[in-house]
Amino acid sequence: MIYLDSAATSFLKPPAVRHAVLGAMQHMTSPGRGGHRLAMAAAETVYRCRQEAAALFRMEDPSRVVFTLNATHALNIAIRSLIKPGDAVVISCWEHNAVTRPLHALGAKVRVARGRLFDPESVLDAFRKALPGSKAAVCTHVSNVFGFVLPIGEIAALCYDAGVPLIVDAAQSAGVLDVDMTQLRAAFLAMPGHKGLLGPQGTGLLLCGADGAPLLYGGTGSNSREQIMPETLPDRHEAGTHNVPGIAGLAAGLEFVAPRRARIEAIDQDRLRQLIAGLRRIDDLELFYDPEGRSQCGVLSLRSRSVDCETLASRLADRGVAVRGGLHCAPLAHESGGTLETGTVRLSLSPFLSPREIDGAAAIMRDICTKKD
Amino acid sequence: MRQDCLILFRSLTFAQRAAHVLERGGITATVRKAPQGLTDRGCTYCVRLRANRLNAALALLDQRGTEHGKVFLAREDGGWQEVRP
Repeated sequence: MIYLDSAATSFLKPPAVRHAVLGAMQHMTSPGRGGHRLAMAAAETVYRCRQEAAALFRMEDPSRVVFTLNATHALNIAIRSLIKPGDAVVISCWEHNAVTRPLHALGAKVRVARGRLFDPESVLDAFRKALPGSKAAVCTHVSNVFGFVLPIGEIAALCYDAGVPLIVDAAQSAGVLDVDMTQLRAAFLAMPGHKGLLGPQGTGLLLCGADGAPLLYGGTGSNSREQIMPETLPDRHEAGTHNVPGIAGLAAGLEFVAPRRARIEAIDQDRLRQLIAGLRRIDDLELFYDPEGRSQCGVLSLRSRSVDCETLASRLADRGVAVRGGLHCAPLAHESGGTLETGTVRLSLSPFLSPREIDGAAAIMRDICTKKD
Repeated sequence: MRQDCLILFRSLTFAQRAAHVLERGGITATVRKAPQGLTDRGCTYCVRLRANRLNAALALLDQRGTEHGKVFLAREDGGWQEVRP
């Protein structure tokens, strides 16, 4: 199989990840409960994972790294911490349902900063106009539909200067692009563990510039006599037993990614250029890509002029190419890109893909698109 | 005779962070569950270290801005005596 669906879940992972998951199941229980060897081994592993994440995203204090189930869980904590019903909130027009649905459920007044696809300046201008009077801002770093890299550093600076706390969704950028929490000065940075960080499904991280309010209430192994959640991080956001096997796997993923992050970004750009070059001359396809190659990362969306996106994705799957068709849980992004009615086929990259696999996928696509049914 | 001491923290993670700060400063400290009754907040964690390194440890934690709770010295009867260094 040629796996081009890493924007959903990375499938190709370093062997150390599965070894760490298995090792945790064999030798660890849960941190913050017992004081015995199995519990303390778990505690060491969990803390090591916090340290790895803090170092990669440049946070001084590992206790501000909170474990979550996924990026959606992390975003829900962040959004519920900063935003109350009726608050005005600025979001980009490229957001995922993980942002828009919690805001809708809260009854927030959402201001959409609308900019053009692969035009970072237009997004920045839209944020500049929408920010005054807003209670908070939420912005994705990279669109999960189009791979559009938003100017998150500049948006973060605008928010900071305006005194508007910012939540950054790094679902597609964590582990691939340089994400520096110290420079961003964001209130929260949310990400999954199972995509670019190469950890197992069921893991996520919330890096906390602000303290925030708990989403879940329950046991933390600390301050047990009190009926309020601890004020200190990470306990405030980590009620209940941790996913220790998942966190152990995530720690292994982080240890793999951290020294290679810049190389992973370079491979991503090489493979993206190669993929675009291999597909752009297929007449049946409409590709969504940055012709200047400066604001796209990890993802290429396309659609066929002759078949719908799910049919094309299904034909690719039949030929051994794993992609995703549809709206990718981001109708707002599709509306902004002009693809809401059709959806797209999304091809997403991994640092483990070889140039040969990219060529192979392009050849299969060409074959499917030129074959008459 | 070796005498140990305990420094309490508000959570396991805080205790782990402190232990790493101390280890990097050359002071051996192990993270433990704190004995019941040393705090009125219920379960918590501490680091245990040699009492003759206590002052150096507290100075290091203060220097690194690592917040800590009460400090206890081991008594001969196996209990713990709070101290205010």
